[in-house]
Amino acid sequence: MTNINFQDLSDVIRLISDIKHKNILSSHDIALKTEAMLEALIAQGKWTSASELMQLIKQRIKCISQSLPMEATAINVMRHILKVIREEFEVASEKKGESQSLQYIVTGASSNVLDYSQSLSSLQAALLDHLSEYKTELETSAENIAAQASEHIHSSETILTFGTSKTVQRFLKAASKKRTFNVIVVEAAPLYLGHSLAANLAKSNIQTTVIPDSAVFAMMSRVNKVIIGTHTVLASGGLRASSGIHALALAAKHYSIPVMVLSHMYKFTPVYLGSNDHEAFNDCASPASLIPYSSGQVLNKAEVTNAVFDFVPPELVTLFITHQGGNSPSYVYRLLSELYHPDDYEI
Amino acid sequence: MSKKNDLLAKENAVQAILVAPTFEDEFLPISNDIPLCLFPVVNKPLIDYTLEFLSLGGVEETFLFCCNHVAEIKDHIKKSVEETVGWTLTMKVHIIVSESCRSFGDCLRDLDAKGLLRGDFVLLEPGVISNISLSSLLKKHSDICQMDKGAAMTVIFQECGLNHRSLCPQDETLVIMNSKNRLLFHKKTKKTSDKKVDFPLEIFLENNSVSIYHNLKDTHIAICSSSVLPLFSDNFDFQTKDDFVRGLLMNEEIMGSTVYGNILRGSNYGGAIHNWRTYQSISMELKNKWVHPLVPPTKKNRSIYEDSAIGTSTKVALTANICRSILGCNVVIGNNVKIQDAFIFDNTHIEDNAVVSLSVIGPNCIVKNGAKVTAGSILGKGVVIEENCLVEDSLVQQTKSDNSEDKIGPSAYRLRLEEDEEDIDLDKSLARRMSRLHIHEATYESEYESEDEFSESEDALSHIHSPPPDDTKLFFTEVIDSLTRGFEDKLLCDNLILEINSSRYAYNVTVKEVNFNVIKAILIMSGDLPEGPQYFSSFAQMLSYFAPLFNNYIKNLSAMTDCLQAVEEVAISGDFKDKWAVFTLKYLYEKDYLSEEAILDWFGTIKTDTKFYKQVKPFTDWLEEAEEEDSDDE
Repeated sequence: MTNINFQDLSDVIRLISDIKHKNILSSHDIALKTEAMLEALIAQGKWTSASELMQLIKQRIKCISQSLPMEATAINVMRHILKVIREEFEVASEKKGESQSLQYIVTGASSNVLDYSQSLSSLQAALLDHLSEYKTELETSAENIAAQASEHIHSSETILTFGTSKTVQRFLKAASKKRTFNVIVVEAAPLYLGHSLAANLAKSNIQTTVIPDSAVFAMMSRVNKVIIGTHTVLASGGLRASSGIHALALAAKHYSIPVMVLSHMYKFTPVYLGSNDHEAFNDCASPASLIPYSSGQVLNKAEVTNAVFDFVPPELVTLFITHQGGNSPSYVYRLLSELYHPDDYEI
Repeated sequence: MSKKNDLLAKENAVQAILVAPTFEDEFLPISNDIPLCLFPVVNKPLIDYTLEFLSLGGVEETFLFCCNHVAEIKDHIKKSVEETVGWTLTMKVHIIVSESCRSFGDCLRDLDAKGLLRGDFVLLEPGVISNISLSSLLKKHSDICQMDKGAAMTVIFQECGLNHRSLCPQDETLVIMNSKNRLLFHKKTKKTSDKKVDFPLEIFLENNSVSIYHNLKDTHIAICSSSVLPLFSDNFDFQTKDDFVRGLLMNEEIMGSTVYGNILRGSNYGGAIHNWRTYQSISMELKNKWVHPLVPPTKKNRSIYEDSAIGTSTKVALTANICRSILGCNVVIGNNVKIQDAFIFDNTHIEDNAVVSLSVIGPNCIVKNGAKVTAGSILGKGVVIEENCLVEDSLVQQTKSDNSEDKIGPSAYRLRLEEDEEDIDLDKSLARRMSRLHIHEATYESEYESEDEFSESEDALSHIHSPPPDDTKLFFTEVIDSLTRGFEDKLLCDNLILEINSSRYAYNVTVKEVNFNVIKAILIMSGDLPEGPQYFSSFAQMLSYFAPLFNNYIKNLSAMTDCLQAVEEVAISGDFKDKWAVFTLKYLYEKDYLSEEAILDWFGTIKTDTKFYKQVKPFTDWLEEAEEEDSDDE
């Protein structure tokens, strides 16, 4: 039993090992890879009914959440596909029209639960269609976000950003085609990823300044907008973002500067920050970038923690910009219910 | 198409050799039951870390060399493959078994005969854990080979501060490299007892610039050219990698091979578990994420236990105190247990009120109520320590074997390693002592010093308290010399008294100082007696041998006071057990050298907040009670 299980999961293990070996780095690539994996899974058709297929996908989600607890993208993509399967199944079984009463919508009446174990011949084709649509959505997502740039960035404004993010870079470059503005890049110690973003922006003739993390508060008073990327968006509208962003968001709050977060839909996660499980929320990298290993004796006595993420509470975020447009943090719950089925929040 | 790619990849696959057994008895008695590579390191077998490191580092084919416990290792690898653990997708592991090999060098000679390796490869000594990217190092090595056809090996070092806990004294290396990172000189300084290092003059004459490093840690990882294995085969005296490096450096011209070095900096980490001290330091470093992205499986609960990690389904009583320790799975810890700097393997029970410090407790052990396991003890699999038993600085195993040993309990036998007692080879015993667990913080430095200044410790003791004038000091050393000699040769004590009296006139010291110093000398000598359960009986024997001296010098009340002051000074300055002071006082009181009155008077002068006061308090309390009873009787 167990043997067969492991054999079947080889595709997801391959994905995990690719992520671990850093063969795929950006969350966008992970999303595309996951989508391709599911497409193959559905096309191969080792399943006969929707419930079986959903079971297969849930196994994969469990597998990833065990070996990569910090990985949200792949799980979110799969979670979304689960919702797609449910929807397509409803359409295919043609029950939708009859049962769509107000009472059903409000209470999600259990009297009318669908039997997903029924096998439907049209389901596979419908799913593959939907998936190719989803794939295009993923591919154009960054472009659609960038297209909104000129609505948010105005002439001769000063924009502050933190570290590096491909989406932010694209967004700023798109804006620079129509407007001239200044960008301040926070270098984001200890990885200093801000340097590469600053170099790339300067190449496309955007006026760019790099500042150390410690100068964020001092510079904030002359900034018009803060535009950042994030690792994940939590269900409350809070962020799990690179460490340093919480301090930045607090400084922005102090000066009442709007904080805009660019995010793809697959970064929205139906997970709350567990108050008693801070260690599971965060990830600790090697302390070597904070204090060199060669400092010797002091390391015998000190325990150095190099946290990778910050939790940014929702009240510090002004606006989320997705490919569908801008949404406030209080609207995240609604986006989540559009993206995922409530039964799939916890797997 | 994809198949073709696979084949191509296989031909140029990056290969690694991992030698699993240590061929040393460092880990006895636990290594009798568990091979080193399956030792749990923060609750995950060591080999899992090593293989994950190889896979993440870009290795595609690993030869795992086993000599003993082969079936267990094979099972473990098979299980990993079945469960498709991370590394299995990108790396193949071949297990090579040869039970005839007796050293690291033998293994490599065996591999050479098999002819499995094609090009450059990665060579790991037993117990390596690291997070470096091997592919870039392999590239560097092949670049070096392009320039220098004789390049045989690149040894990987990690920059590391002196006195770092992971820098095990045995691993302390002195390295000289030239500007092209070619190794010119390599010496493990602490492996021998010489305190001097001689550099050949040619090093400085032949090179424009050289760098001398003393802050490096050997990671026990090396990148090797294909010429390494034949070199091992040609030279049968190469037993270890260090032998190889030394041999190549010494006979550079003859062999025409050179060795290069590479120093890791930044977040690159490398190290190997080859004795208990490195086991401890690497466990702690894994726990503190220095080897990220290799991380231990457990999440620690910072709020409750200081710097500790705990395995799954382990039960710890609320009143237990755990500090800087790692507990395995299914461990049960009772009430009021104290665990410090200790490693406890799976399925072990530590019952109420037990104390475990600086020790390793193997799997399935039971430490019963009130027992104490301290000072670098190692318990093998299934040992049962009886109630209130004290185990100090010893290796304990479950069953009796040929090595002479004494019995502690029905399933606990003290194991003696051959070198421990008879072997006068200072290097070896020193190395063994150093390889035990590292003591936290300040205690470490003092231990370190006392090992270095072994011969001077007695002198050092004598001038801790109010340094007496020079003559008195000389007199004191004289006394110690004659007493030690007398005790060893069993001379008549009367002759000793004569000797002491003559030196007294020679150095012109007062009667008071004579009394004080003679008693002090006798007591200090007790520090040289072997520690252990028989300590106090041998101490009493020594005191009774010196009885004539006591009779001769302690004649009146003021002499008793001198004697008591000597006891006080030695007890405070020396490193004795808690009961030492009480034992000494009681002995002297029972033999009537000291009167009750003198003791109580003297006790009144001791400051009440000192540790010594607390040590002596029970004894004087007893004295006072005894007096009251006496008067009651009357």
